[in-house]
Amino acid sequence: MIAALKSFTDRLLGRGDATITVPSFDGALKPNQILENAEIVAQFDAPEDLATDGKALYIADGAVILRLDGAATTEVRRFDRPVTALCCLPDGGIAVALDGREVQVFATPSAPAATVTFSDSSMQAINALAPGPGKTLIATDGSTARPYRQWVHDLMERGRSGRVLVLDPASGSIRTLASGLAYAFGACAGGNDIFVSESWRHRVIAFGADGSPRTVLEHLPVYPSRLSPAASDGFWLTAFTARTQLVEFVLRENAYRRRMMAEIDPEYWIAPKLKSGQSFLEPMQGAHIKTMGVVKPWAPPRSYGLVIRLDADGVPRYALHSRVDGVNHGIVAAVEMDGALFAIAKGPGRLLRVRLAGIEQELRG
Amino acid sequence: MQDALLRLRYRYWPDHLLGEILSKRWTETAIPVIVLLIITILLSRAIPGFLSVGGLADTGRQAGEIGFIVLGMALVVIVGGIDLSVGSMFALCDFCALFCLNVLNWPVPAVIVATLACGAALGAVNGLLIGYLRLRAFITTLITLIIYRSAYDLLLFDYSNTIAAAFPDFPSWNFVGGGVVAGVPSVVLVYIVVAVFGHVFLTRLRPGWHVTAIGGSRRSAYNSGIPVRRTIALCYTASGVLTSIGALFFAARLGTVGGDVGVGLEVTVLTATVLGGISLGGGKGSVAKALVGTLIVLFVINGLTTLSVSGGVNRMVLAGVLLVAATIDIRWLKNRTRIISKVYVSPTYHGLAPAASTAPGSGPFAQNDRLRDVTLIGLGRIEAPEDVILDRNDNLYAGSRHGDIMRFLAPDYQEMEVFAHIGGQPLGMAFDRKDNLYVCIGGMGLYRITPERKVEKVTDETNRSLYSVNDDSRLRLADDLDIADDGRIFFSEATIRYEMDEWPVDGLEARGNGRIICYDPNNGTTRTVLRGLKFPNGICIASDGQSILFAETFGCSIKRYWFDGPKTGKVETVIDNLPGYPDNINLASDGNYWLAMVGMRSPALDLAWKMPGFRKRMGKRVPIDEWLFPNINTGCVIKFNERGEVLDSLWDLRGVNHPMITSMREHRGYLYLGGIANNRIGRYKLEGADPGFVQYDRRWGKSK
Repeated sequence: MIAALKSFTDRLLGRGDATITVPSFDGALKPNQILENAEIVAQFDAPEDLATDGKALYIADGAVILRLDGAATTEVRRFDRPVTALCCLPDGGIAVALDGREVQVFATPSAPAATVTFSDSSMQAINALAPGPGKTLIATDGSTARPYRQWVHDLMERGRSGRVLVLDPASGSIRTLASGLAYAFGACAGGNDIFVSESWRHRVIAFGADGSPRTVLEHLPVYPSRLSPAASDGFWLTAFTARTQLVEFVLRENAYRRRMMAEIDPEYWIAPKLKSGQSFLEPMQGAHIKTMGVVKPWAPPRSYGLVIRLDADGVPRYALHSRVDGVNHGIVAAVEMDGALFAIAKGPGRLLRVRLAGIEQELRG
Repeated sequence: MQDALLRLRYRYWPDHLLGEILSKRWTETAIPVIVLLIITILLSRAIPGFLSVGGLADTGRQAGEIGFIVLGMALVVIVGGIDLSVGSMFALCDFCALFCLNVLNWPVPAVIVATLACGAALGAVNGLLIGYLRLRAFITTLITLIIYRSAYDLLLFDYSNTIAAAFPDFPSWNFVGGGVVAGVPSVVLVYIVVAVFGHVFLTRLRPGWHVTAIGGSRRSAYNSGIPVRRTIALCYTASGVLTSIGALFFAARLGTVGGDVGVGLEVTVLTATVLGGISLGGGKGSVAKALVGTLIVLFVINGLTTLSVSGGVNRMVLAGVLLVAATIDIRWLKNRTRIISKVYVSPTYHGLAPAASTAPGSGPFAQNDRLRDVTLIGLGRIEAPEDVILDRNDNLYAGSRHGDIMRFLAPDYQEMEVFAHIGGQPLGMAFDRKDNLYVCIGGMGLYRITPERKVEKVTDETNRSLYSVNDDSRLRLADDLDIADDGRIFFSEATIRYEMDEWPVDGLEARGNGRIICYDPNNGTTRTVLRGLKFPNGICIASDGQSILFAETFGCSIKRYWFDGPKTGKVETVIDNLPGYPDNINLASDGNYWLAMVGMRSPALDLAWKMPGFRKRMGKRVPIDEWLFPNINTGCVIKFNERGEVLDSLWDLRGVNHPMITSMREHRGYLYLGGIANNRIGRYKLEGADPGFVQYDRRWGKSK
């Protein structure tokens, strides 16, 4: 009763959950243009995920898995469906998620057939895979209501059906570690915990060995996505898009949101995107006006590029940005290899490389 | 169905009036008036005959007497002081009147003059001490209160018996005391005259403004050259005179001098002043407030006395009312502007049909990249050229946001000079027959620059509309213009509710807030000819010379208005439902018209325009930088004819040089492009256009 009353007054006065404020990029998230100025390693049609076994880089591009050695890319395998997640396993194998509905594990990247196939009718949007404790595999299922490619629908429907699954290749069993998440997108094991990005709640949570969740990092100004381990303790957290007050406002305007979803092409919704500025049919906000030939980098981000370096406790140390006036937006995956960070900017379809030597001193000094 | 209901509700319910009414200064008096009404209703129910003619006349007499003193007190409080000595002055003036009449046996006019002089002298003492010697008002008047009261007591001791023994019987004196004209007591009549003058004085006359200015900020008033000391001294003197008028009527009515005359009067008067809403901080107040305060206090006192409430309780109630009223008043004054800012912006329903496609190969609007090959003029040197125009010597003129008209010299347009400095953002421009350059200046009005570079104001106001709450006579956002054959100038004013930098708020409202105005140089008049337009913008005289084509930016349409000929006064739609927001219209060499599109429609905003509630909440909760805006980052130029057919379009799709285009002019085979948020002017070679086309020559003939 009191909770209902509180939510009513909150909505009336714009307090509590009804606030539309978005934290600013501050402290460790202070903006720079490192991602925007990053080296472009390669260009792809539909890059989706990255993985590394420490020696080579594997890239999921559409239905193909490519291997990058130095500058040369070779096709490793090809599927009949788009790959939505990819990870390298400690035993030298790889795991892939196909169209979000099926997970296949291969003994080696080029093994002729899958050793195990997990396919469960409830799997809808498997969007990240990571090796878990005891030879298991952790998978995040963003939503059980919408397929992976319709993540923006899930956001605008205020989806709360994300899950974290633990797959056991030895027995072929699937265990649900958590459900009811507001879009689970990205997982990574660290210590005894499993770190998971909960995108629509703008936070990173961790599940302990007993399965109990705790919040590691919250009130992010972005929608966090895939996580990967950093070479020296800690994680890389990607953010595939950023929050704006207008989107937060529309999320609370049910009538408008319903009509928008029913009447307008999703391309032109008031919603976060992986790339923006492609068409004048997209919604424009006040600060987006190009003045004297310049787009302001601090304008509200319809799309954004961001990778955050977290320490082992999940505390941000620094961040790499591509700001609103840039193009390297929609960072969905980042892995560290050979002293460099490789990241996929899904917006422009680029694979980026940032040399990490001295970068922390430069940003935190 | 729901849409239709919404449309009707927003068409017939004037949401925008609430904010406009609340932003009127007189609504500050709203709370005291409501309190007065409540008290009147309560008392008239509790006391039979409270509102009868006799009762009212009696109240009126007292109200008049106290009312004069409240006026004086109000004046002093507005100028930033306080006068505690009114009670003692009242007593002394009362004594003076009766002494002159009863003891000296002066004629009535002389008595009146003497009493007024006495009041003026007593007030002048306060004025000298506070105004010129700059003593603290509170202490000074407290001291004069004591001194005057002592003087009164001494005089009373000597003369009370003499005064009480005489029974003067002059009809004129009796008229002052109890006379009635058409049922209205004489005192009320005089009060009305004084009050009306006081109102005019405070609101319309220079000394009145000085009084308010000094009360608002003494130092600023001094710095702006107002004679602060003299004005303050005169205010206290006036307070003394007004008190003496009250005393005069009191003396004539009762004819007594007693020990209790005027005792505690300052508290009653001060209560009335504060109750009326005259802030003790100074600088705020009006005659109406003083009147309302007086009536509240009198009604409460008289009402409670009639109800046989004892004096102590009476005063307690008065104090209670004062406390409540002061609290409400302070809250109201403090939050008034916040309330206004919350309710002033009132979006309305604005339904547009889906726009024509602009996909490549889809028709006249099909996107292309033809404007990529423009040469740039003044890149980085000119800022915000909303309109561009060329004279018949091929020189190029453009406005800048620094308030200048810049001129680029022919033939290569490399040399730039300030042609004239005006001070406001220049918008639309047009040459008249005599080479005068007429310019619409945002926030200032319509200006003219002669060939000798002399800047002259043409007009900055029009006739006030009959039914508008806001004073809409001043021009807020004159936007574009064109000149008819007989010299009449038709110009658009984009909005009458907002300033130029607030255009997005007008877009949020999407109400017809704009108008088209005609300035007639033949008799110097300015008249509004069309109202209720959705951000009227570009204007161009049509080929018949009897009508204008005008663009409604947020209406996404081109319309035609006849000012002469058989169709005078008619408005017809030429093009409806454009895919973008039309801006300036200008003549093309082939007899068609160029139209600049400042931006393009987006489905998200089209939908929001159909949902006023959504926009209202957005306006309140989302900062303006994050509002959903009309997309003005991509524009284009189209060519159309008077039949409403779109013939061609020119785009800069990548938006490198001309993301938004607010104007264009054709001149000798080239198209010149301007944009209000841009820092360059584009020059585009038109294939197949008349290489000799000069707009001035086409319009006014090749002269000289």
